[in-house]
Amino acid sequence: MKNTTSWILWFAVSLIILLSTRNPIYIIMVLVGCFILGFNLLQKDESSFWFKQNFRFLLTMIFISTFINGLFTHIGSTRIFTIPAHWPLIGGEITLESIAYGAINGLIISAIYLLFNVLNLALSIKQLINLIPRAFYPIAIMTSIALTFFPSIQKRAKEIKEAQMIRGNAMKKVTDWLPILMPLLITSLENAFLLSESMMARGFHTQTNEKETRFPLLMLVLGIFSIFSGLLLNLYNYSSAIFISLYIFGFVIICASIWITNRSAQVTKFYRETWKRNDIIASAIFITALVIFITMRITGNLPTLSYTPYPTLSLPDFQFAPLILCSLTTLPIAWISHD
Amino acid sequence: MKTKFLSSLLDFFVFSLGFASLLISFIFPQAEGTPFTSANYPIIISLIILLTLLIIFLDSQRTTLDTKIIPFLGVLIAINSGIRFLENAIPGPAGFSPTFFLIILTGYFFGSRMGFLMGSMTMLVSATLTGGVGPWLPGQMITAGWVGQSSGLLSKPIKRFGLQGNLIEILLIAFIGGLWGMLYGAIMNLWFWPYLGGPFDQSWLQGAGFSSNLQRYLTYYISTSLFWDITRSIGNVLVIIGLTKPVLKIFKRFKERFSFSYLREHKG
Repeated sequence: MKNTTSWILWFAVSLIILLSTRNPIYIIMVLVGCFILGFNLLQKDESSFWFKQNFRFLLTMIFISTFINGLFTHIGSTRIFTIPAHWPLIGGEITLESIAYGAINGLIISAIYLLFNVLNLALSIKQLINLIPRAFYPIAIMTSIALTFFPSIQKRAKEIKEAQMIRGNAMKKVTDWLPILMPLLITSLENAFLLSESMMARGFHTQTNEKETRFPLLMLVLGIFSIFSGLLLNLYNYSSAIFISLYIFGFVIICASIWITNRSAQVTKFYRETWKRNDIIASAIFITALVIFITMRITGNLPTLSYTPYPTLSLPDFQFAPLILCSLTTLPIAWISHD
Repeated sequence: MKTKFLSSLLDFFVFSLGFASLLISFIFPQAEGTPFTSANYPIIISLIILLTLLIIFLDSQRTTLDTKIIPFLGVLIAINSGIRFLENAIPGPAGFSPTFFLIILTGYFFGSRMGFLMGSMTMLVSATLTGGVGPWLPGQMITAGWVGQSSGLLSKPIKRFGLQGNLIEILLIAFIGGLWGMLYGAIMNLWFWPYLGGPFDQSWLQGAGFSSNLQRYLTYYISTSLFWDITRSIGNVLVIIGLTKPVLKIFKRFKERFSFSYLREHKG
C-alpha cells in the first residue's frame, strides 16, 4: 500500500476511533497496531531504535499523566494510601481510580502522537507535498523549492564550515558563524535568482486576477468563522443540531472555496499517482469502516466507547464491531514491501 | 489601496481567530457544557488554526507571491530549515534556537506578510524534513508566522525616525527577538495546557474565572517553561546583535535584484 489517499483514509479511521473513545481496550488496540505498523514500515536496523524511542515516550507519558492525576485528584472509592490532609495540594486519598484515569489520558496522548509518527514514516516528502491542494500551488512550489534546495544547502554549509575551520575559525562565539552564514546566504540567493529567471523564461506566472480570488477568499473566511462559531456553541452545550449544522455549513463553504480556486489554477502534472489493486481494496475497506463506525456511533450502538474508572474501578466492556475496526490500524501490514 | 486594506483586514481576522482559538480556555472558561479536557480539544483547535493559515496563504498568492519571490523565499526557508535541522541534531543550551533570527529579519526588511510566510513555512518545511508533522504543527506555524509579521511592524517607525543603519535599529530588532523568545513558548504552551495540565494549582480549571485561570497558567509557565524561554530570549538577542548588520546588507542587495515589475504592452 503506497497510495497517499489510502494512507490518509487509514489515518482518518484510526484518529476518529481514537478521538471517540476512552475505553482502554480500544486505545491499546490502536496503539499496538501503530507499533506493529511502524516497526514493519522501517528497515530492520532502524526499526528497533524507532520502537525503543517510541516505547520510552509511551511509558513517560503514562507515568507523567498517572502521577499528576493520581497525586492531585482525590476522587474514587478504592483507596491505596492516604497523604495527610494538611499537606498542601497533594493531601488526601490516593485512589486506584484516579491512577487509572491518568493512565488512560497518557495512552490517548501517546496513541495520537504515534498515529502521526507512523503517517510520517509511511508517506514520502513528495507525497506530503502532493497533499497541498492545487489552489495553493504557489505555496506548494515554494515548499518544493525549499525541500529541493535543502540538501545542497546543508552540503554547502558543511563545506564552508570545514574551510573556515581549516583557516583557524574556532566557531565558539556567535560572530564566528558569520563567515559561514554570509557565503551561504549569498550563494543560495544567487541560485534562487537564477531559478526565478529560468522560471520566468519558461513562462511561469503566479499572480492571479485579484478580483477572481476575492470571492473564494471571502468564502473561506465565512467557512472558518462558521466552524469557530460551531465550536463555541458546542462548548456552551447548545443543541447539537445547531452546532453540527454550523460545522457542516463551514466545511461545505471551505470545500467550495478551494474547488473554485482549484478550477482557476492551471497546473501541469508530470507525475500522477497510481492506484494499484491493493490501494483500491484498502481504501474501500477504510471508507466502509468509517461509514459503519459513524453510523453506529450516531445511532447509539457503540456504548462501550465511553468508559470511566470513577467512582469504582471496573473492567471495561467491549463489543466485537469496534474491536474489528480498531484492528484495521494494522491492515496496511498486509501490503507493505521494502522494495 | 483596496487590496492592501483587504489584506490588513484578513491579517486582523486571522490574528483574532487564531489567538482566540489558543486562548479559548481563558476567554470561555465558564463553558461547562462539554467536557473541555477531552482529546478532541487540541485537534479541533489545530484544525481551526490550520484553516486560518489557509486564508493568509490564499491572500498571499494574489498579493505577495510572484515568480521572483517564490524562489527567493523558498531558498530562505531552506536555509532556515537547515538551521532548525542542525538545532534538532545538536541542541543548543535549553530553549536556544537560531531559527527566529532569519524570520525576524525577513519580516523586518521585506514586510509583515513576507515575515509571516517565512515563519510559518519554515515550521512546515522543517517539520516535513524531521518527521515532525503532527497536531502541534499549525500552532507552531501560526506563532512563528506572528514572529515575522510583528517584526514587519517595526520597519515603518524606524524609517520614519531615520534610524536605519543606526545601533538603535539593531537594538530594537533585538528587543523584538528577546520578546518573542519569551512569548513563543508561552503561546505554544496554551495549545495543550488545558488538556494536559499540571499539578492542581497549575492546571486549568473548568468554570474558574479568567484571572484565576491566568494565575494558574502563570504558575505553570514559571515552573515549567520560564528558564527555557529566557535562554531562547537571550540567544535571540545575542544572535541578532551579532549578525543583523551584515545580513541586512545582503538583503538590501538582493531586494533590488529580486523586485522589479514588468509593464504590460499597450494595445494599438
